Amino acid sequence: MAGVTAPFVGAQGLSLRVGTFELREVTFAMGPRDTFVILGPSGAGKSLLLETLAGFYRPDRGQVFIGGRDATAAPPEARRVAFMFQDYALFPHLTVTQNVEFGRRFSGSRADAEPVSALLARLGLEHIGARKPAQLSGGEKQRVALARALAMDPALFLFDEPLAALDARFRDTLRAELKTFLGNAGIPAIYVTHDQLEALALADKMAVMSDGAFVQVGTPTEIFNAPASELVANFVGVETVLEGTVIGVSDGIARIGAGTRVLHALSNDSARPDERVLACIRPEDVALARTRHADSSVRNQFDAKVLAIAASGPLFKVTLDAGFPLVAYVSKQSYIELGLASGTEVIASIKATAIHLICR
Amino acid sequence: MASAVSSRVQGDRMNTHRFSQARGLVFAFSLASGLLLAFIMLPLLEIYGSQTSASLMRAASSAEVRNAILLSLEAACLTTACAGLLGVPLAYLLARFSFPGKGFVEAIVDLPLAVPHTVVGIGLLFVFGRTGLLGAPAASITGIKFWGTTAGVVIAMLYVSVPYAVNAARVGLESVDPRLEKVARTLGAGRWAVLFKVTLPLAGRGILTGLSLTFARSISEFGAVIVLTYYPMTAPVKIYDLFLQFGLSESSAMATLFLTVTLSLFIFFRYLVALRKGGAPIGWRA
Repeated sequence: MAGVTAPFVGAQGLSLRVGTFELREVTFAMGPRDTFVILGPSGAGKSLLLETLAGFYRPDRGQVFIGGRDATAAPPEARRVAFMFQDYALFPHLTVTQNVEFGRRFSGSRADAEPVSALLARLGLEHIGARKPAQLSGGEKQRVALARALAMDPALFLFDEPLAALDARFRDTLRAELKTFLGNAGIPAIYVTHDQLEALALADKMAVMSDGAFVQVGTPTEIFNAPASELVANFVGVETVLEGTVIGVSDGIARIGAGTRVLHALSNDSARPDERVLACIRPEDVALARTRHADSSVRNQFDAKVLAIAASGPLFKVTLDAGFPLVAYVSKQSYIELGLASGTEVIASIKATAIHLICR
Repeated sequence: MASAVSSRVQGDRMNTHRFSQARGLVFAFSLASGLLLAFIMLPLLEIYGSQTSASLMRAASSAEVRNAILLSLEAACLTTACAGLLGVPLAYLLARFSFPGKGFVEAIVDLPLAVPHTVVGIGLLFVFGRTGLLGAPAASITGIKFWGTTAGVVIAMLYVSVPYAVNAARVGLESVDPRLEKVARTLGAGRWAVLFKVTLPLAGRGILTGLSLTFARSISEFGAVIVLTYYPMTAPVKIYDLFLQFGLSESSAMATLFLTVTLSLFIFFRYLVALRKGGAPIGWRA
């Protein structure tokens, strides 16, 4: 590894097998203020990665960097890593103040360290310092855990799906609080989740993980709008992934033959005629209408028949047969105005720029 | 909090509902339970009922009786300490790790519960007796003898009571969420600090339960003690001795004194365990 400068936080070729879980050549690098989100299904090895970064497992191969130094051989207590578990794992036998003091006591506090009382005040906990964790609300627990972690002056935050067990409304509030906190703290954070919204909301940079390996690393926009593989596309919420063949490319627009239909998609550099591609269409990019657009800027307009409709949060998820299976999201208003029902004939339109191509 | 309270109220209501529906079953089972509780309590109450203050005073004024009771207390305390020092580490290993042969180790821990106590005493004689495997070298090298000494009493008590210490401590340690230990490590605490500041305090109730059971089992041990070391006489041995020499009335007076001591301690330990309930980790995540 000579000549390679250590990243502020990161991993190089991290490999490990523990039971049925494994890490395969995990490599990433983060800056000193980045929030890095790792998105992946359960069983992908996300928690194993976090626990390896925290020092609970020694990797079979590879290196871990924390605070600009190689921390591969350091025990957990020497890494200055704040581990935030689901439900935050506050010490139930200690009061709020004692929990926060625990973070200070063992870390060899510096002379200029913020006093525990000031930390409690900063996170709005000064009035509940004498309470035990069992008496706290979810939001208070999160703030106590953050205060406890700050007390030991962490070099890195690790979040292991902290919000996964909460109901949706509450989750939004806590996520917003967390985002503000991370923005102000200026401490790098790695955040593991299987929730795409959480990833979009928090990530400066993100990775999609599957079977112990990072299958794509990039900005949230890159990953959500340009998934590198079918696996990533399926996981980040692209409901329609069509197999097709490039018919031709002109003026930056590729014509794709998919079954009986021809799609127009913004070409990527590698699309060549006769090449097999996957066309990815996000459901929110599909517009439904009763009549065809006169506007020719919409390249893709297909006669489609509604197969099924299901409520999905505030939206309706409409499954269509457009000569190929297609999924669209429509608002309640559109749903009523279009009089959608199973069997309704509609026009589905998709902008060429909204179709993302993945070369096989 | 409010929802927890209301759900508990709802739960109670549901239980009451079920209670009224199951009246026949509850009646039959209450009858059986009543018989069982009476079976446990009657002999003890009868011992108290048979005593006069004069017989109690006479027993209490005997130095031999007092010494036997004190020896029982002393030996049971020593046994409990040994069981804690040796049993908690084993309980920790069993609670936290899986390893080849774990089932075998668990079986060994429970073995003393299955062996008749006189048989335990004979086995201990072979090991700790005058010519025993460890008894002979221990006497010649360190001077510690296991016959005719408190050490012998402790050895016999320990053998029959240590399963209670290990098993209860293990349940207590298993109830401690390993994530709490991990968080403590990341907060800068080393393995030993985590053990003493997080794991043991949170497992305290289980460990305390185990130690109180160990104490109770030790102080009441008779069979293993009498085979390994008849002297010095512990209270149960002395009571048996009085029974053989002077009959029921003499022995029951001492039995009453000893029973009072052990029951007081039993109640005190249960109180201690109940006190820890507030700090106990069981169900804390809800």
